[in-house]
Amino acid sequence: MSETLLLLLQLCNSSLPLGAYSYSEGLETLVEKKKIIDSKTLNKWLVNELKYGSIRIELAIIIRAYNCYLQKDLQGLLYWNNWFSASRETSELRQQSWQMGKSLLRLIRSFESENKFLSQVINSFNDPCNYVIAFSIITANWEIKREYLLLGYLHNWVNNLINVGVKLIPLGQTEGQKLLLNINQEIIKNIDVILSLKDEELSSCSWGLCLASIEHEQLYTRLFRS
Amino acid sequence: MFEGSWQGKINLVYEYQQGKTKLKSAYHQAPFKIQRAFYPEGESICHSVILHTAGGIVGGDILSQNIHLFPHSQVFITTPAATKIYRNTEKKAFQDIMIKLENDTYLEYLPQETIVFNKSQYQQKLKLELGNNATWLGWEIIRFGRSARRETFTEGQWLNYTEIWYKNKPLWIDRQSLQGESQLFSEINGLAGKPVVGSLILVSTHTHNNFIKEIRELINHKFHHLILGVTTLQNGLLCRYHGDSVSEAKTCLIAIWQLLRREYGLNSTFKPRVWQQ
Repeated sequence: MSETLLLLLQLCNSSLPLGAYSYSEGLETLVEKKKIIDSKTLNKWLVNELKYGSIRIELAIIIRAYNCYLQKDLQGLLYWNNWFSASRETSELRQQSWQMGKSLLRLIRSFESENKFLSQVINSFNDPCNYVIAFSIITANWEIKREYLLLGYLHNWVNNLINVGVKLIPLGQTEGQKLLLNINQEIIKNIDVILSLKDEELSSCSWGLCLASIEHEQLYTRLFRS
Repeated sequence: MFEGSWQGKINLVYEYQQGKTKLKSAYHQAPFKIQRAFYPEGESICHSVILHTAGGIVGGDILSQNIHLFPHSQVFITTPAATKIYRNTEKKAFQDIMIKLENDTYLEYLPQETIVFNKSQYQQKLKLELGNNATWLGWEIIRFGRSARRETFTEGQWLNYTEIWYKNKPLWIDRQSLQGESQLFSEINGLAGKPVVGSLILVSTHTHNNFIKEIRELINHKFHHLILGVTTLQNGLLCRYHGDSVSEAKTCLIAIWQLLRREYGLNSTFKPRVWQQ
């Protein structure tokens, strides 16, 4: 375990050059419009996203793509990549996923240049590769356990968005860290639910995120990328 | 089948011959009915009105629509009134809509609003297959709860899946859910207390300008006070409205629809009679 833990920590570290810190996933709009004004309202937003939002679909697709990689099911992997691209509701969310996917694939290539199967998988993408798919490829390749990679992915996601809140609301660093600590229980609670989702159950309630993201594409001044 | 519930079917096939889109065959089973095809804007585009004669959808209903456009047909479909989904805490109602658009076809599928009563359980799936050079322009306008009675949607379940495929590849997958118990009716992640959502979707395998700039100008000019936005999809665009009023949703989505019609060289001042109440 110790080595796979280190690999997971590296993968979920915000210093990994993927540019995750430059996206706010709708939060910049919500702060600008005073819908999110403090640590309490940010916490509520994040917990609702975890329970009902589009992040559930991200995780469910990671698990599916991870299984495909382990079973050497290349068609399946491409299927879920296309599925995920089609499910991104806004141009901004799609571009974010593709840009981070591309950056992560580039890293994976340099990490694992000798790995023939991995190279074959990466070369088989004719369409842009989503971040969730790249993430499942490398975690499957490193044989990181499903529960752990989901925890890592969610930790990274929450951490990034709390940092957005720290910058924009703004919140104190300590307040941000306390928020992160408090959300851990919610993360753990949701992992099992997400692992048990059937394909037919992949759904979310995402009007809030979608409209905030659409509006962000048009926001007059922005700190975060669109 | 449950007592008092329906297994309604409607199958519509359109074909194009000598400058005219014809309704080649129409099969329907209650509570669905189809009005005779008509041509208010010339013979190339066939208009159909699908009726639901039972007044609304109840738990246990299993409804299906199959719509098939043969090459070169152009079709406009709407409904004469709002669709109501009644409360039923025991049984779920289902509707499956399968649409096949062959090469060089154009379909506008613009039903009137759906009113989702509190404590109703409903699942809709719309699956669309596109051929080459085919265009889909559809919308959905949904009100959660009968707001005039101050009803909100705090119990029940609503699932709405839309999938658009081209050559075994999905172009657009939208899987929305609203669980009444989740409090998302009032939370900002969901409806933030505003019960009406509207989505207009254009997906086309025809190479085209995506008209985003024109739509944004229209929104900024006429609807800047509303929660209304547009973004690009992989082969098209998505407009979403969110607010308190079905008529407001209709006003802005109709304006966008007319703009798109103008861009497609169709009659942009046309408005079906059944919409004018």
